[in-house]
Amino acid sequence: MIRLFPQLPRSIATIFAALLGSLLFLFLVAPIAQLVATAGIQGSERLVTDGELRRALVLTAATATVATTLGVLGGTPIAFVIERWRFRGRAVVAALLDLPLLIPHPVAGIALLLVLGRDSAVGQAALSLGLRIVGSPAGIVCAMLFVSAPLYLSGAREAFARVDRRFEAVARTLGDHRWRVFRRVTLPLSGRGLVAAAVVMWARAVSEFGAIVIITYNPKTASVLSYDRFTSFGLREALPVAAILTLLALLPLTVLRALRYERRPGLDVAGAQG
Amino acid sequence: MIDARGLSARVGSFRLKDVTFAVPNGSYGVVIGPAGSGKTTLLETIAGITPQTGGTLHLDGRVATALPPEQRNLGLVYQHGYLFPHLSVDQNIAYGAAHPDVAREVASRVGAWELRDRPVESLSGGERQLVALARALARRPSIVLLDEPFSALDPRRRESTRRELRRIHREWGMTMLQVTHDFTEAGLLGDVAILLDAGRVLQSGKPEEVFRHPASPYVAEFLGAENVFAGTARVLPDHSPDWYPGVEPGLAEGHHAIEFRTGALTIYAVANAVENPGYAVIRAEEVLLSLEPQVASSARNHFRGRIAEISTLGALTRVSIDVDGSVLVAALTTRSAQELALAVGLEAYASFKAMAVHLC
Repeated sequence: MIRLFPQLPRSIATIFAALLGSLLFLFLVAPIAQLVATAGIQGSERLVTDGELRRALVLTAATATVATTLGVLGGTPIAFVIERWRFRGRAVVAALLDLPLLIPHPVAGIALLLVLGRDSAVGQAALSLGLRIVGSPAGIVCAMLFVSAPLYLSGAREAFARVDRRFEAVARTLGDHRWRVFRRVTLPLSGRGLVAAAVVMWARAVSEFGAIVIITYNPKTASVLSYDRFTSFGLREALPVAAILTLLALLPLTVLRALRYERRPGLDVAGAQG
Repeated sequence: MIDARGLSARVGSFRLKDVTFAVPNGSYGVVIGPAGSGKTTLLETIAGITPQTGGTLHLDGRVATALPPEQRNLGLVYQHGYLFPHLSVDQNIAYGAAHPDVAREVASRVGAWELRDRPVESLSGGERQLVALARALARRPSIVLLDEPFSALDPRRRESTRRELRRIHREWGMTMLQVTHDFTEAGLLGDVAILLDAGRVLQSGKPEEVFRHPASPYVAEFLGAENVFAGTARVLPDHSPDWYPGVEPGLAEGHHAIEFRTGALTIYAVANAVENPGYAVIRAEEVLLSLEPQVASSARNHFRGRIAEISTLGALTRVSIDVDGSVLVAALTTRSAQELALAVGLEAYASFKAMAVHLC
């Protein structure tokens, strides 16, 4: 192992590393803990009394679920193809799909507005079919999908990469064609990773603000509502909304940790000792 | 039948190049080669998993080059089994089974049936190999490809499974191709041996032929021949006094008496028309060791030297004899070595027949 500071005694280096780690831990946890401690109870009460907050939460959960469903349906085959097939331009396609992760989210919102706005070809076509995208839940779904689908794609690719191709090879020699192998072997073996990727996507969609606020300010998602309360009524009114959003964020986080840390049986192929 | 002609494939930077061999219908082929020689890639190319980049492949008389794996009617057993971890042992065996009764029969015969209630992750490496074997055979394919399928079994189980597999092979008339590192296994199982190195076939043919008459000194050394000498050969004229003083050579038609010189040794051999042989190969088992001159021996080659090294491995002992700077290795049973009271530095005599010398 390479020592970063070879001139430092081992014990001092350990104390230094522990100190830095603890500071970062506090920096990440303290604001959230403070927020929940200050307004957690009030936020929970608001769930009963504040109709606008309830509607915002339901809208957020529903649109995030629709966006995640679309992301999973469209992203799974793309992730599989990128991970399993070798074709010219594969790296370029993979990089393009990662791009939405790198651009600022308001910029993503502006880009979506250009493509899906009333003046765009897609927007006009949708309007002619009676579907308004900008300023509607459909716009929220589009914004959520744009910013969070790359996370699903990345997670799904990793999940497929973890499945040894030889499982699929054996299944094919046992008479299954490609699609049947995917259904009977690849999907069950990558399932846990795909669900984890979907949970990450859903959580990211729920927390999205920048792109949504550009494309659909109203109806308000929870993140837009917390911003709206802050700018209209100040910190006091924004705190309960922010606290309840934080508490609800624990839900996907718990699911994710359970999926990641639960024992993954069988992906080792060598067998038990003895 | 597996008939590969000029077969080529590529996996990353590794290339399988111009591989040609045939395993006749119902025969048992054995692929031998060092680690990284392309044995698994060869099986995967035959199975259609690794794309073929050149040559032709016929399986059971059909052109298989463009056939997907599921249409090749073959079974593949990897060394590590690759049992599906999300399925039970029972479901694994039944995965592609021709009929549930076949799955049950074959699982019982190879000893996998009693494992059916165990979770896959609790199986040992050897048990996984048995289940993987049962799973592949349960489909009743016409060709079975086996990648070191017995490597994790204990010796007793290995022997019984090998015997049962041979029986199933004969009864069902399947064509088998097995990768192994074990020369004994290759000799016991194989009707055809294929020696692979760096993605090329070095030699193929009947195992005995490959072992007795290696095509090159590399093959000879790879197959465990200790005595490989570089030198020059000269064909002796018929009735040559050098050949056997006072005795007619009495060679079969087409065979010649050959004198092979290497260092301090002059070795006599019998060979048919070998063009400029550069190496003489003598298996250590063919070299007879004694502490007295073997006057009455029919062996043509006799050497006197001193014992340079004795190494014992179980029932076999290998003795190196220094003959004026050239080393000859003889193999004998450990019991014989003890009876002879061999010791380093003792004078000893090594002899072997001219027919035991292979020139290449």
